[in-house]
Amino acid sequence: MKYISFLSVLILTCALGVLASLPFGQIPPLAPLLDPNHGFWQNSFSEDQLAEETLSLENLNAAVEVVYDEQLIPHIYAENELDLYRAQGYITAKHRLWQMEFQTRAAAGRLSEIVGPMALELDRMTRRKGLAYGAEKGISYLTEKDPATLALVEAYADGVNQYIAQLTDARLPVEYKLLNYRPETWSAYKSLLLLKYMSDMLVGDRDLEYSNLKKILGQVNLDRLYPEFPNENDPVIEKERIWDFTTLAPTKPDSLNYPEETLQLEPLAQPTEGTGSNNWAVSGKKTKNGNPILANDPHLSLNLPSLWYSMQLSTPTHTVKGATLPGALGIISGFNENIAWGVTNATRDTRDWYKITFQDASKKAYKYGQEWKPTEFRIEEIQVKGQEVFLDTVVYTHYGPVVYDQSFKADRQDVNFAMRWIVHQGTSNEQKTFMLLNKAKNHADYTEALKEYAAPAQNFVFASKSGDIAMRIQGKFPLKWKGQGKFFMNGADPRMEWQGYIPFEHNANTLNPERGFVSSANQHPVDSTYPYYVFDHSYEHYRNRRLNRELSRMEQITVADMKALQYDSYNLQAAESLPVMLNLLAGHGSASKEAQKYLADLKAWDFFADPAKKGQTLYSIWFAETTESIWRELMEQGAPVMRPNNYQTIALMSASPEDSVFDVHMAEGIQTAQYHVRVGFDSLLVAMKNWEAKEGDYGWADYKKTTIQHLVPNFKAFSVAGVNTGGGSGILNATGSRHGASWRMVVELGSTIKAFGIYPGGQSGNPGSRFYDNFIPIWANGDYVDFDFRKKEDQKGVLFKTTLK
Amino acid sequence: MKFLLFTLLSALLVVFLNIVTPYWVVMIALAVLAVLIRPSVWGGFFGGGLGMGLAWLGQTVYISAVTSSTLPDKMGALMGLGSGLSLVLLTAVLGFILGGFSGLLGVMFRNLVQKKRRDVYLG
Repeated sequence: MKYISFLSVLILTCALGVLASLPFGQIPPLAPLLDPNHGFWQNSFSEDQLAEETLSLENLNAAVEVVYDEQLIPHIYAENELDLYRAQGYITAKHRLWQMEFQTRAAAGRLSEIVGPMALELDRMTRRKGLAYGAEKGISYLTEKDPATLALVEAYADGVNQYIAQLTDARLPVEYKLLNYRPETWSAYKSLLLLKYMSDMLVGDRDLEYSNLKKILGQVNLDRLYPEFPNENDPVIEKERIWDFTTLAPTKPDSLNYPEETLQLEPLAQPTEGTGSNNWAVSGKKTKNGNPILANDPHLSLNLPSLWYSMQLSTPTHTVKGATLPGALGIISGFNENIAWGVTNATRDTRDWYKITFQDASKKAYKYGQEWKPTEFRIEEIQVKGQEVFLDTVVYTHYGPVVYDQSFKADRQDVNFAMRWIVHQGTSNEQKTFMLLNKAKNHADYTEALKEYAAPAQNFVFASKSGDIAMRIQGKFPLKWKGQGKFFMNGADPRMEWQGYIPFEHNANTLNPERGFVSSANQHPVDSTYPYYVFDHSYEHYRNRRLNRELSRMEQITVADMKALQYDSYNLQAAESLPVMLNLLAGHGSASKEAQKYLADLKAWDFFADPAKKGQTLYSIWFAETTESIWRELMEQGAPVMRPNNYQTIALMSASPEDSVFDVHMAEGIQTAQYHVRVGFDSLLVAMKNWEAKEGDYGWADYKKTTIQHLVPNFKAFSVAGVNTGGGSGILNATGSRHGASWRMVVELGSTIKAFGIYPGGQSGNPGSRFYDNFIPIWANGDYVDFDFRKKEDQKGVLFKTTLK
Repeated sequence: MKFLLFTLLSALLVVFLNIVTPYWVVMIALAVLAVLIRPSVWGGFFGGGLGMGLAWLGQTVYISAVTSSTLPDKMGALMGLGSGLSLVLLTAVLGFILGGFSGLLGVMFRNLVQKKRRDVYLG
């Protein structure tokens, strides 16, 4: 009897112990999670409660001091660069390890390992785009050409890995505990992969849609509805700039054949509308103190932990401060004791597609001119949590990977398309650019630093203490004949090849222009006199004009003015289109009481998209419904296409409201712009009736519901929803519901540098810390935290200090 | 008396040992403690349970108080349990069950060995 009861209790106790350590479906192992000494409870401590005076970091030449200010911004003081980046890796991992790892796993197409089959399609897509392939080439390039930079990237990786090696269960970020996995070793490769991931986030192309549109509309209508330059072009580089070089632009070959079929492929995910950025610099002659002022606010997906992490990095020879990308070395957008710089996405169609004609089903060779060229196979092994390994064979041509084939996204059509993208080349050194910018002292150093930079192409704004302001559109841009790469091309025809790259010296740039400022907001880079083909579908048409008008108008500029401009919520698109729409509406539907109320709101609105403004809500719905109605027939052609942009739609509505594009073939009679504006207004009334019944207030912030989402969307409790802030797409404060100003910085380059910065998040990656989201209310109000340099010995405003040795 | 002693020692054991070892080592240690202290069957179960349950409860309350972190509430929402308070209770209950069975196991083992010895002695 005793044996039986002992054995049963033994079995029961062991079973309990084991069961509590096992995951059930999505439920993580309970005992390790709840154990107050090791589980999630330990993640409740904020960093200052866990402050350590010394931490062990091996392989240092000298001790490194880390001083945290009251916002948990670390200021790292090292004796040399190797120590500096080793410490940057260690400290970044200490606060953002899970995010760094998660983002690079996403970039490598390895999310299925963590979350299971739901991520498999995404992982396949990522791998077919060849991000990892590009990063591998990048590492071989560094090994061969730039071992000095590689040594620094490896020091950073060593710092991250030493942190991982010291990591206790208690300090393990809570996401690992919830998703039940552990961090793996970091490497130099992962740092490069992260930069490739940024390219993927920022680069899109509409070649698929343009190919279909050309078939549906014909070339003439395509050019009319989708012109390559707008009527009122207000480019990044001022129009007055003279291009005094001999162009290398190739001429278009005669009688080219394009692939015939209407393409039924599933388009790649595009950078979401609202992804973009502003940056500008004003020269001393326009500012109150006579110092240049530089401002930058990249707009990206709003996530927690934030994409950005602030730091000051100091050695005896340089001190630099600003925003880092966890996983990459140095400061990405920031300032040092001599210069400041910032980045916006330099949109341009640099990703092209080639139809591949294979010799036979084995896909071992493909047609190229008169010959058959051999292919290479890359087998992608995708580990899937809870399932067997998934093998995906990707065929590589000399153009790049065959993204679309019968096994992927092209099941309705037997076609093969290869992608050509600078990201696969690996002959670039973006990491070095940032490390050189961190130390740059003047315009010449800045220009030199940018020589290494290929992708994602950026508008690099610059200002120096010595009084220079500059802008350079930097990326490795292919040389194209006019129209090249706008449509899917025939890969068997060698004349369709890129013809080389625009030389560095010919990339559009300007230094100290007459107008006293430089600026960029993702618009056209240049005016039409620039001798290279610069087509892209997604150029901005509103933020740029608002920004340049304001900067032209302003004099005696202060830092406060520049902060206000970053937070500016003037909706230029509404200002240009709402009067047209109200005019076309001409009293339609105004019999109803609701309609009268909304019309009164609209007419009273001053075009500022502030949080409480109702006009902005009504306009955004009305305009969306109107364009939906205008382009419905075009969109329903049964093949992926996209609408003309808002700027062009509004130009048509106001200049030629009777244009044939407004006619609805399915409806009787002849329709004009007025018809669609009225349909849009009726839809607005329906939408508002539902909204008011369900949600009540329709002030802009209540309607757009800005949400800063945790990187795992299911972890809703770790997100911050319903942030009360204004702005929107096409507005300088570009904060929409999920995208917006992901980092704001304003720097005045006087004898002592004055700097301010903010981002919607917090320095800690830990959802339990008081520094996880403490910047959000400050950011939502358009306020900033102090980003002035700190000296090692400064005692004021110190949260705590740690010595690494 | 033994029950109180065992409960108290269990709690102390959890508080100090659990800092450096995972929960399952604590479970084994509780069983060993029960072998040494020799509480009754019920005493082993409730002593171990209360020891570990109260220790875990105390620690969660302590951590919540000193950090005033919103994490327990966030975790509660994430796990569909509502507030952080339910996680405090869940942690305490889990501690009670794990500790209780560990204590009971130790008592059972002791009884087993004791009986054998007595048999040998009498025989």
